[in-house]
Amino acid sequence: MSLDAGNLSHKQFMRYSRHLLMDDIGEAGQQKLSNARVLIVGLGGLGCPVALYLAAAGIGELGLCDPDTVELSNLQRQILYTEADCEQLKVSCAKRELSALNPNLQINSYAEKVSGQLLLNNYDIVVDCTDNLAARQLINQHCFAEKKAFVSASALGWEGQLVAFDFAHNPSLCFNCIIDKDSPEPLLNCSNSGVVGPVLGAMGSLQATTVIRLLLGFFQQHGEMQRYDGKSGRWLNLRAAAKPQCDICSTEIRE
Amino acid sequence: MESQEAGVQKLVTRTIALINLLFFGRLGDFSKDVPATIEASTPAEIRQRLTTDHPTLGKELSEPQVLVSVNQMIVSWDQPLADGSEVAFLPPVTGG
Repeated sequence: MSLDAGNLSHKQFMRYSRHLLMDDIGEAGQQKLSNARVLIVGLGGLGCPVALYLAAAGIGELGLCDPDTVELSNLQRQILYTEADCEQLKVSCAKRELSALNPNLQINSYAEKVSGQLLLNNYDIVVDCTDNLAARQLINQHCFAEKKAFVSASALGWEGQLVAFDFAHNPSLCFNCIIDKDSPEPLLNCSNSGVVGPVLGAMGSLQATTVIRLLLGFFQQHGEMQRYDGKSGRWLNLRAAAKPQCDICSTEIRE
Repeated sequence: MESQEAGVQKLVTRTIALINLLFFGRLGDFSKDVPATIEASTPAEIRQRLTTDHPTLGKELSEPQVLVSVNQMIVSWDQPLADGSEVAFLPPVTGG
């Protein structure tokens, strides 16, 4: 690795020195992170650690999408917010904290539900930190059509799930192949059955790591699912196959 | 006539395989009395048989978005099973 600061300022060189020390990131890798545009949909228990780690890593432009305000019951796990933030918009509080952490970033906030219109903004990767299937399917459909990468996670109780899709390099196998878009929502959710904060932190950290891997060209696990059970401390890695009759990605249906 | 009937019977008989069961995450809380192996030809049949003997677990397995895998591959509920396969059931995880 060259120790020349190159295009990085002295302050940036110091800030990102632990990336620059790594042969497989270095200055070229840091430039890729700096040039990247990442949209985070949902600023709850997953979105908070995703946003913090991506801002700290120097992702040049971050989009933050969430229509909600901070509530006291969020503070057990949503680590960007404090009691003073209650009743304030999450995206405003998050933007304030992330700008304080790393003032050089462009941060766009969208105090609205995710929509097809919002997804038309020109982001490289969409990170799904939402809590419902309809939003996941909308993001999946958009990212497939636009050949973008899509990093999805979820959590409930002690359990977490991560699955990512690199549609720029893989023409089939999408979220709809694994969980059908017409599936009803399950009865249990975080609001009625609870969730352990650091399980969200673990899954959000993995989402942020996956974004960095995608941007640096190290991602190879298109459509593979990782499941974590924090109660037993067990992981399960699962492969998946494209569904021949998938409404979204099947060539049989599209042609 | 008898031999024709036997032939038809043979065609519709499905292979019954000995399956190792895994209940991931909170499904483990409902499966403490469930044997580690079962004989079945598809995951759907496993669910049906478990519902009879373990109705609480059966109800959990019938929730929307429960995933089933065979030897770490996510499959559909009608996937034919081979002897010695590991079938894992995973509860839905949707919060964020």
